[in-house]
Amino acid sequence: MRQRSLIAITAALAAGTLTLTACGSRDSGGDKGSNSGSGGTTVTIGIDAPLTGDLSALGLGIKNSVDLAVKTANKQNIVKGVTFKISAKDDQAQPSSGQQNATAFVGDTSVLGVVGPLNSSVAQSMQKVFDDNKLVEVSPANTSPDLTQGTDWQKTKARPYKSYFRTATTDAVQGPFAAQYIFNKAKKTKVFVIDDKKTYGAGLAKTFTEEFTKLGGKVVGTEHINPDTKDFSAVATKVKSSGAEVVYYGGEYPQAGPLSKQIKSAGADIPLIGGDGIYDPTFIKLAGSAATGDFATSVGAPVETLASAKEFVANYKAAGYKEDYAAYGGYSYDSAWSIIEAVKKVVDDNGGKLPSDARAKVTAAVQNVSFDGVTGKVSFDQYGDATNKQLTVYSVTGGAWKAVESGTYNGG
Amino acid sequence: MNAIGPLEPGEGTRAWDAGDPAGPAPGPASRIRRAAAARYGHHRRAVLALAAAAVLLGGGGYLYATRPRQEASPPPPPAPFPAQMVDVFYAGGRPTPAGAPSRSFSFAVLLRVESGPPVTVARVTQPYAGLSLVTTPRTPFDTKEGTDREITITMHVTECGKVPKDAGLPFLDVTLRNVRAMQIQSFILGSPYAHHLSQAVKAACDNEITSSPKPSRRLN
Repeated sequence: MRQRSLIAITAALAAGTLTLTACGSRDSGGDKGSNSGSGGTTVTIGIDAPLTGDLSALGLGIKNSVDLAVKTANKQNIVKGVTFKISAKDDQAQPSSGQQNATAFVGDTSVLGVVGPLNSSVAQSMQKVFDDNKLVEVSPANTSPDLTQGTDWQKTKARPYKSYFRTATTDAVQGPFAAQYIFNKAKKTKVFVIDDKKTYGAGLAKTFTEEFTKLGGKVVGTEHINPDTKDFSAVATKVKSSGAEVVYYGGEYPQAGPLSKQIKSAGADIPLIGGDGIYDPTFIKLAGSAATGDFATSVGAPVETLASAKEFVANYKAAGYKEDYAAYGGYSYDSAWSIIEAVKKVVDDNGGKLPSDARAKVTAAVQNVSFDGVTGKVSFDQYGDATNKQLTVYSVTGGAWKAVESGTYNGG
Repeated sequence: MNAIGPLEPGEGTRAWDAGDPAGPAPGPASRIRRAAAARYGHHRRAVLALAAAAVLLGGGGYLYATRPRQEASPPPPPAPFPAQMVDVFYAGGRPTPAGAPSRSFSFAVLLRVESGPPVTVARVTQPYAGLSLVTTPRTPFDTKEGTDREITITMHVTECGKVPKDAGLPFLDVTLRNVRAMQIQSFILGSPYAHHLSQAVKAACDNEITSSPKPSRRLN
């Protein structure tokens, strides 16, 4: 009987709540999310990444990981009265597409933050659009130092855009970290440096080369490749005749895989090392057995050493996504979560509702987030860079990437 | 004596042993029933006690079987990997100990265990062939959660040609051990350490060049 009374009271309360929420007023102005129709507010987190094309393995991992963060936030009711949803746009790794996507996100008032892009060159085309409209952007993958520290970052660091953040560490650390490993641990002193002329690849090759030569290493040859081709036989022949002990490649796996294969086919049985852009299983598929012994540095610590990452991996698997979370899954989840935490802060500070200038306030709040994420402690420094700067060297062993050395940057 | 007394049959009910006054003569079934009733009459108390005990046992068994089961407490999460709990920061130059060999220099790092079980610092090394180092305290030593442990590192330049004079991001390799694992983590200490190392190596090796004994002159 008591149980029946409880059921009746609960039903009445639920009906009352539903009636009240259904009568909730609909806000239409300002950048403050959109009314969900059931009385709550819907906040959209935009995603910009290459969802088609050569780099889609990385892009789809970003999209799915943000989706997982949003679903988790909704399930746990992290921000009371706010339901998050995603809006994913394909930039095809092209700066012009990225800029169009940025403009579209700005035009959608429900969008209070964007995760992405993958490519540093795409980010360059999006930053100003977002900053002019005070819409926060958190990249899980951009590593080019100038995005946060300005073009003259090696001499004077100056943050160009206050709305841009990233959870991945930068090539200012990644390139030298690779150089230190190759020179000191792998004991290679003669390198042939190749890049794809893009912002990311050329920048990474530059930071690697500078440190490698400072250590006493010798650059025995340099080449630039055209990323639109897959025939690198001429470059491979030059590598063979250079006497190089190792090849450093600044670029991404769609070119790095065939390049590694063709270098070995040309008779140069030397390892290729690249950055996070080649750290993907697709590299190994493209290079075949020639990939064995190749290296990649990538952002973050190995997943198996992070308890939080293990939980992410289990949840990702349980969610049933078709594609792998890939190199930036954990960073994408943390990027999305930093926006969710910022929205929570803004809502809490405004009496449980989003203010009319939510975008500006969310941007300011992202600067101060601090939480234990998939990849460790997540917070940002004065430039918008992640304070957690970990890197790992991986090597291809038995047809898979295996961690061989990890480093933590604590240089301020 | 039963204080309450036998219950009266209610309306529409009939006592088993009351018989039917207007009924036919008793048959074999009726005799059996009467015999059972008579036996029941003799052992009424025992039967009732047995029935009550059975009900109690059954009820108790049901309650026990359907009791809210306490969730088996999940196993405690494994201790974190030591490298995820430890930070190492450059803390500036320190006076070189008096007994250190020439071409030595010292600096300090702070090692902090952010959380988790105690961590043993098993070894501290650096990657350059022309340098050796010793630490104070000497390894291995233990560190506890929430404490900053200052480690003084004294480096000795053993061979100038095998030390970079201008490395941008030199690091220290620290072997850490806790109950979970033993890991070697590279700690990249940033520009202040790079600058200190560079200056110290240049000073040590420039002195070597200027102070190295000149070849003896032949007087004839």
